[in-house]
Amino acid sequence: MIKTIIVVGGGIGGTMTANNLVSKLYPEISRGEVRIILISNSPWHYYKPAFMYVAFGAFYKEELRRHQASLLRPEIDFVLDQVDDFEFKKSRLKMRSGDIYEYDYLVVSTGCIPSPERIEGLQEAGDHFYQHAPARKLFEKISTIEKGRIFIGVTFPKTPNVPHQCGIAPMETTLMLDEFLRRRGVRDQIEIVYTYPTISQLVRNCLFLQRPTGEVLPSVFESKGIKHKRGFTLASVDPERKVAISEEGEEENFDILMQTPPIRAVDAVLNSGISHAPNNEGWLPTDRYSLQLEGFENVFVMGDTVDLPISKAGGSCHNQSPVICNNIAGLMRWGKTVAEYDGKVQAIAQMGMEAGMPLWYDYDVDVIPTPPTKIGGLMRKSFNRGVYWSVARGLV
Amino acid sequence: MSDHNPEVSNQTAEQVLKCLPALQDEATLAGISDLLDKLAPILQGRRLHNIVDLLAATSDVMEMTDDAMLQKVMGLYEDSISGVWMLTNALRYASAQAAAEAEPPTLWQSIRKFNKDEDARRGLDVVTNILAELGRQAAIKGQKMPED
Repeated sequence: MIKTIIVVGGGIGGTMTANNLVSKLYPEISRGEVRIILISNSPWHYYKPAFMYVAFGAFYKEELRRHQASLLRPEIDFVLDQVDDFEFKKSRLKMRSGDIYEYDYLVVSTGCIPSPERIEGLQEAGDHFYQHAPARKLFEKISTIEKGRIFIGVTFPKTPNVPHQCGIAPMETTLMLDEFLRRRGVRDQIEIVYTYPTISQLVRNCLFLQRPTGEVLPSVFESKGIKHKRGFTLASVDPERKVAISEEGEEENFDILMQTPPIRAVDAVLNSGISHAPNNEGWLPTDRYSLQLEGFENVFVMGDTVDLPISKAGGSCHNQSPVICNNIAGLMRWGKTVAEYDGKVQAIAQMGMEAGMPLWYDYDVDVIPTPPTKIGGLMRKSFNRGVYWSVARGLV
Repeated sequence: MSDHNPEVSNQTAEQVLKCLPALQDEATLAGISDLLDKLAPILQGRRLHNIVDLLAATSDVMEMTDDAMLQKVMGLYEDSISGVWMLTNALRYASAQAAAEAEPPTLWQSIRKFNKDEDARRGLDVVTNILAELGRQAAIKGQKMPED
């Protein structure tokens, strides 16, 4: 009987995994024994990290998206629909359209949703760059501000040891902002204040979620005249007074509040009732090695939806995807999983508008910061402008 | 970096080399000795100069690369990769479909398939358009051009 593998989510994780599954299981697919379905609620595939560049006027919407179907191998059935219910116990999905899909294996790669409305006043008075429209709005502000104070903050999930979206992004955008304002010739009239919350995964009172990088940041910021402050966990925002209020009891005024917002899983994952995460965040309990959903051998979770202490970023998906494909192949062919995820994540951090810093880490070893270089910047820009799409196709 | 350090800049090259901790290690010295053995002939023949020139040229290209140039190069990369990917996908998928048939369709069945299958007709239209474009470009190349 034909086995059905369904991948839910048309982001980078789901797209590359559907393509990688075709490569891994091609013998079975060509014999008509396996079919692969990718379900997404959007006909577009967005290169989400480019939203950060949109905030600095460096990317058009047309340059950061492709037709989802154009990135999939022809062996994949693309379904444009939305999952309303994950019925893990029955191995089936209920769709917005009313359709029902039964599966033998499922990959959940549904991402996360920025939710500024979860902090009082943040939606009204804050800005961020994790989606296109907010990034455009932020660009309008930073490209016109002449003087004042830009206050930068980071909100972590309440789930212990789970990071916010793209761990390096607040640092990247702080350095980009400094350079952007210098190019505009207004940097001297604008104070930039970078802050970090008291609790950031396993570290306390630091400037970054990994201590080695957090320790080099003060000298980097001081060399650029960027002020920095530890122990500021945003509790609420007063839009009238333009004041950010912290859980630690401090108040900070701002002209622009660039805040990494709270995040949560998508509605269907939240409503599945499987998550143990506090604060209704919805992260799925995931085996840190096999990437299986706890209690369900035939369900795998990846990317932003996991409850692991690993960056919610494409660089994580890139290393999780081969593990999931190998484990599905192992279950089908040998009756057991064969691969283990070591927590590896790699990326090239954008350090200012031109320089870049390749980095990698895993469950055991933190990022070892190295000096940003022009060649690192060229590598990042090359990735942004071309290599990313090869990654989505499962070619790199 | 050493030219900014007054303690180092007052020393001779020999003194600096003697002070380097890495050079107090026997394994480092043995490695350098091996490397010098390899380098000696290409140094003597002035062929190492080419490698240094190549490094300098590579570095110059990196210095000259700006956003516009990088976008054009990566656009070329993406166009090439996506084109090849699309063609190899189509070839592999079509071959697998053809191989799955116990017996290939008759000519009449193929014509009926064209008639019934919108995608097949569109594919034929793509091929026709490609041939028309090749013809247009050939015509341009074949035009007699007036002298300036």
